[in-house]
Amino acid sequence: MAIVELNHARKVYDTKVAVDDLSIAIEPGTMFGLLGPNGSGKTSSIRMMIGITVPDSGTVSLFGKPFSRKMLARIGYLPEERGLYKKMNVLDQLVFLGRLHYISASVAESRAKEWARRLQIVEALPKKTEDLSKGMQQKIQFIASLLHEPDLIIMDEPFSGLDPVNASLLMDTLAELREEGRTILFSTHRMDQVEKMCDNIALIHGGKLVLSGSMGEIKSRYPRNRVHIAFEGDDAFLRDPRVEKVRRFPGQADIALRPSASAADDAQALLANALRRARVTRFEVTEPTLEEIFIEKVRETMPEAPGLRLQAEAEQEPEESYQSV
Amino acid sequence: MRNVWIIAHREYMERIRTRGFLITTVMIPLIIAGFAFGSTFLASRANTNLRIAVVSSDPQLAQQLQDELIRQQAESGSEATTGAGVDRRTNPTKIAVEATLPANGVKQSLEHDLDTGRLDGYLWVSAPAEGTSRPVFAFTPRRSSLSKLKTMLASSLDRILLRSQLKDRGVGSAETSLLLQPVAIEEVSRAGHEDVESAEVCVSILFFVMYLVIMLYGMNVARSIIEEKTSRIFEVMMSTIRPEALMAGKIIGVGSVGLTQVGIWVGMVLLLAASSVAVHLGGDTLHIALTGAQIGFFFVYFILGYLLYSSIAAALGAITNSEQELQQMNMFLVLPLLSCFVLLGTLVATPDNTLARVLALVPLFTPLLMYFRVSVGHPAAWEVVLSIVLTSGTICGIVWVTSRIYRIGVLMYGKRPNVAEIRRWIRYS
Repeated sequence: MAIVELNHARKVYDTKVAVDDLSIAIEPGTMFGLLGPNGSGKTSSIRMMIGITVPDSGTVSLFGKPFSRKMLARIGYLPEERGLYKKMNVLDQLVFLGRLHYISASVAESRAKEWARRLQIVEALPKKTEDLSKGMQQKIQFIASLLHEPDLIIMDEPFSGLDPVNASLLMDTLAELREEGRTILFSTHRMDQVEKMCDNIALIHGGKLVLSGSMGEIKSRYPRNRVHIAFEGDDAFLRDPRVEKVRRFPGQADIALRPSASAADDAQALLANALRRARVTRFEVTEPTLEEIFIEKVRETMPEAPGLRLQAEAEQEPEESYQSV
Repeated sequence: MRNVWIIAHREYMERIRTRGFLITTVMIPLIIAGFAFGSTFLASRANTNLRIAVVSSDPQLAQQLQDELIRQQAESGSEATTGAGVDRRTNPTKIAVEATLPANGVKQSLEHDLDTGRLDGYLWVSAPAEGTSRPVFAFTPRRSSLSKLKTMLASSLDRILLRSQLKDRGVGSAETSLLLQPVAIEEVSRAGHEDVESAEVCVSILFFVMYLVIMLYGMNVARSIIEEKTSRIFEVMMSTIRPEALMAGKIIGVGSVGLTQVGIWVGMVLLLAASSVAVHLGGDTLHIALTGAQIGFFFVYFILGYLLYSSIAAALGAITNSEQELQQMNMFLVLPLLSCFVLLGTLVATPDNTLARVLALVPLFTPLLMYFRVSVGHPAAWEVVLSIVLTSGTICGIVWVTSRIYRIGVLMYGKRPNVAEIRRWIRYS
């Protein structure tokens, strides 16, 4: 039984098709990553799952049954647009939101305090929400979505805007929740984040499903033909005929090898070649990153898709540089 | 229902704890009391001692005028104590009259006295014109605001002339006083229900209380809905509770704050009235005969009206995105309320005619007009019940439509919707 199931869901706003014929299923106790650039339909898909909007066609099932509002009590939701009552005391706010999820005020209070300890923001509890930093408010909202111990946790861009320390704190927390047997779905446009975390992923672009499946299975479809090398000295080995593409960084390079039956041997030959002229400090052979796979898939299915760039380039620019079709 | 209560509870607690609530609760009665006390105080101070000069070749005229003014004031004072149960305690104005003989330079010296403030006016009496029997009087007040003095002087002089003419014809002075006794009309009100005046007063009070509370708190409902949007919390709320529950909770919660505040004020007034302070304040006290039913209906229609207008305010909050936009929508609250009051004026004499009966059933007008009819007219029981049902239904309808507009509106934030879009939102499921 899938915990969340979208079946040929379609949602159109005014003139824009936000989600088009999207089918995904999330198995119990798994961590599911919903990936795609900004404006690809992640938030629209999530909103349909929790009944904020209704699909124009297709169906939504939760916990194996068609959607009904009663199920919302079993779901914890962190929206992309963070929002809390600004003038309200943080603890009061958590208790209030907990009570709306059918837990008593006293239980809500003790859980809120427990979570605050766990996420290291005990000092924020007596403050007014507007006096907190953005990151702290985000943690408070994170707690708010978990107070009623939901079976299904849906988080829209949970790590955006957090510093690396806090982002990894929340990632660890999500991993622990999954260990407890909860089902977790989160969306992100940062594909590097999900590689380690997710059991299953769905990549969407322009409202359409581009790629889905388990992390391992998707990766195994692609040969280990990516080489990361860090070196000092002559870089002439990069002009090796086996090398298809190179991205140079100071002191290192990411290399894509030409498709061939013997990619593993090619990599070893390249290493030998490099060692002759340069001093190699790191050498790694991997599958393509999720991002590379994603871009490749989008180019295959939608050759005209503009605005797709590699992570390294996109990182240096505002997130808006991703565009949807 | 449980969620409505939680929302209402939050709105109530968050508002009642603010310093703003404390300040308005204490300050508004203080300001009103200050006005009442201040105006009474000023009235008691104003015009108390006036000094005028009478310029006449007859030196006795000044004395006669002085006597007549005193007599006149004694009469008006005694009238005030008997009049219609209403205690209009006017402050007796003491007017001192001094006599001056016409001579060269008198006018200049009188003008000078006016300028320095020693005199408050002078009356110039000259000989009768050709062919008339009465002398010519010219009064020059120091300020135009003293012009009411002129009417007092005129009636006094009238009587002085009458008196002297009656005396000339041999009528005794006791008889003259009897003849000149002013007529006093005593107002006798019939008992209880027919007391139109007190009913009018009650409707006016209801109107002003409702107006004040709606302006203060109806707009707060709208603001608290805008707050949902600006704080972006709506998405959490909508993934948790039904928008209808949110709207109803807000209206009830913010509404209760208003009722609490009004309750505190009423309590303060009652305390004040019970204590001896009221006597010293010396404001106008109105004797109002109210039946228990009238008081009951007052609360029923006040709460209905309050909920109705709050739900309209909620709708305004749902279609606007900021305080500024909301301000422009203000008139949608004020206009129906004001037109209600205007209608009241035309219906006051005929509370049971067809127009009144129909209008009192229109939900927007029900709270004031039906209350008025209940107090003054004779509405059938079914009319009263129907008005309550219609108004309650309208409140629910508005809340339902509003929650729809809200739900769709927040998902398409940004521009203000036009009418066609609002219609589409209502139809959207």
